[in-house]
Amino acid sequence: MALLDIKNLTLYIDIGGDTVKALDKVNLQLDEGEIRALVGESGSGKSLAVRCIIGAIPEYWSIKADRITYQGQDLLNMSYEQRRQIMRREIAVVFQEPTSSLDPSVTIGEQLEESIPPELIKRGWFWQQNKQRKRIAISLIHRVGIKDHDQYLKAYPHEIPIDVSQKIMIAMALASEPKILIADDSTRGMESTTKTQILRLLEKLNKTKKLAILFVSHDLLAITSVAHSMTVLYCGQTVESGKVKSLLKRPLHPYTKALLDSAPSFQLSLPTKSPLIALGGTIPTLQHLPAGCRLGPRCPNARKECVIVPPPRSIQDHTYSCHFPLHVPEKIAKRAPKLSRGLGADD
Amino acid sequence: MTKILSVRDIEYRHFIKRGLFGKQQIFTLGPISFDMYKGETIALIGNNGSGKSMLAKALVGALQIEKGEIELMPDADAPAEYAETQVESPAKGANDDSQRFSVALPQEARINARKQDIRMILQHSADALNPALSIGTVLNQTLKLNTKLGETARREKIEETLVKVGLLREHYYFYRHMLSDGQQQRIALARALLLDPKIIVADEPFAALDPSVRSQTVNLILQLQKELGLSFVFISHNIGIVRHISDRVIVLDKGQIIEQGVTSEVFTNPQQAITQKLIQSHFDLVEKHFAKL
Repeated sequence: MALLDIKNLTLYIDIGGDTVKALDKVNLQLDEGEIRALVGESGSGKSLAVRCIIGAIPEYWSIKADRITYQGQDLLNMSYEQRRQIMRREIAVVFQEPTSSLDPSVTIGEQLEESIPPELIKRGWFWQQNKQRKRIAISLIHRVGIKDHDQYLKAYPHEIPIDVSQKIMIAMALASEPKILIADDSTRGMESTTKTQILRLLEKLNKTKKLAILFVSHDLLAITSVAHSMTVLYCGQTVESGKVKSLLKRPLHPYTKALLDSAPSFQLSLPTKSPLIALGGTIPTLQHLPAGCRLGPRCPNARKECVIVPPPRSIQDHTYSCHFPLHVPEKIAKRAPKLSRGLGADD
Repeated sequence: MTKILSVRDIEYRHFIKRGLFGKQQIFTLGPISFDMYKGETIALIGNNGSGKSMLAKALVGALQIEKGEIELMPDADAPAEYAETQVESPAKGANDDSQRFSVALPQEARINARKQDIRMILQHSADALNPALSIGTVLNQTLKLNTKLGETARREKIEETLVKVGLLREHYYFYRHMLSDGQQQRIALARALLLDPKIIVADEPFAALDPSVRSQTVNLILQLQKELGLSFVFISHNIGIVRHISDRVIVLDKGQIIEQGVTSEVFTNPQQAITQKLIQSHFDLVEKHFAKL
C-alpha cells in the first residue's frame, strides 16, 4: 500500500478576484522505502504540493481532492490535533533555503534539541533529561555526517556554511524518526562535491532506515542518481510519472523530453559550445494560464486537440497526460487505459 | 587571438572580525595572474568561500585591489562614439601598440574605461532591478552615467540592445514584476551589453534559473559571443555547463589559483585533489544517470 497517496489534488487560489487552479488534478504516490522525485521548474507548483501535504496553506486557499491519505488515514478530514501529531512524528519536511528556515537568534544545538520529541526522552530529573537531549542531538549530527559536533552545536546559523546547515536541517527532520522525509530543493545552488554528499546521505537513510523520501527538485542530475521513481509537474499539472528508468529511456511527454534534453551533461555526443535544445518561451504565470494542456503554447507538437486537458493514461505503471505522446503510435496511445479524472471534473 | 586583458599579481585582503573581542581573520585573495583573449570564455570554479566572487568583483572594479595590475588592452577598432567619454589619454600619440590603460591613464580614468569595457551580471538579476522604475529608465541610467549620448540616441541604443537579447522594443515600458525570470536575466544581460563591453563577468548567471530557461540563456550567450566577439568570465557550480561553454577553466582554492588550463584538458586530466573531487563528483552523478538507461 502506498504510504502517501494523493489523488486529483486541486488547489484554488484567489488572485485579484479571480480564482485560479494553482494545482490542477495532481496525482502523487509515495510507496514505502521509495525515493520519489517531484520534478518541476519554479512556478510549477511543486512547493505548493508539498505545502498541501503538510497542511501549511492559508485558510483562504481551498483544496479539493479525491484523497490525500497517509497510511490509509485521510489527512483532509481529520482533526487539527490528529494531523499535527502525524506531521510531528511521521512526516518531516526539510524546507528550501536552510539559512532562512533556521532561527538566527538561537544556537544550532538548542534548535536541534528542541526538535527532539519528548517521547524519546526517558524519565528522570531535568538535568538527566537535558543530558539525554544533548546525547541524542550529538548522535543525530553524527548521523548526517558531521564529525565536529562541538563546533557546530554552539554556532549560530549565520556562522556555518550552507551545506552544513542543510545537513543540520536534515538532522532536525530526522529527530522525530519519521517515516517520510520531504526534501524541498535540498541541493539548490550547491557545488557538486557537497551535492553528492547530501545525496549520498539521503540514499543511505533510505537504505538503512527504510525512509521514504519525496525529493523535490529541478536538478535532473541529482534526481536521476538517487530517485527510484519520479513525477513531473508542469504549471500545476502532473505531466508524467513512473519509474526513473523508464522515464529516462523513453519519455512520453514532450515536456519531460525537453527537460532531459536541457541538461548538457546528459548529451555526451553534443559538441561543446553548440546550442542546447530548449523549449521556447517560459512557464506561464497564474494570471495567464492557457486552456487545456498547459504546455500547449510551448509544445513543439501541439495540435488542435490540446485545448482539452488530456486525461492521464497509463502504460505499464508509466502514467502520462498527453494527447500525442512521443514514442507511442497513435493507435496504441488512444487505447491506453484512461485513469479517472475524479468526480470533481468541472471543466 | 588577441589578448584583451591581463591580470598581474592582484591581491586583496578581506578582514573578518567576529564579535567585539573576536580575533581578526584575514582572507587573502591572490596573488592571481592570468590573461584573457578575445572571444574566450573562462569559467571560475572552486568550493564555497574560495574567493571566486571576490575575483569577479575585483575584475569589474567593485573591489579596490591592493596590489597588482589589471590591464585592459585598447582595441584598435574601438567604437568611435565612446571615444569622447574614454578620457583623453596623455600617451595617445605614442605609437606603442600595446599601450596600456594602467600606465597611460590616471587612476580615475582607468577605472572609467574599465567600467565600460568590463561589465558584470549579478547572480540574482531580479534583485538587481529597481521595481519602481521601468526597464527603459533602468537602462537609461546606465547610459546617462557612462556616455554622452543624447536622448534619442540613448533610446535607439536601448531598443537595439533589447532586440539583441531577444526581447521586444516594447519591453522599454515594462516593469520588473511584469517579466519572467528568463526575461529578467535577459534584461541583466542587456544592461551589461549596453556599453558595448569587451568582457562580461557573470557571478553564477545560471544558478537561479530553471532548466529550460537556463538552456535558453546559455544559447543566447553563445550566440552573442559569436556575433559580437565578447569575452566572458563566469562563475558556476554547474560542472555540466562549465564543460559545455567554457574554453578555459580556472580553479580557485583559498584565494589562490590552484589549476588553470583548457577545459577539455583539465576535465580529462585534473592535477589537483580539489579539482579531481569537483569533477569526479559531477561525473559520478552522470555515470549513475547512464547506468540507469
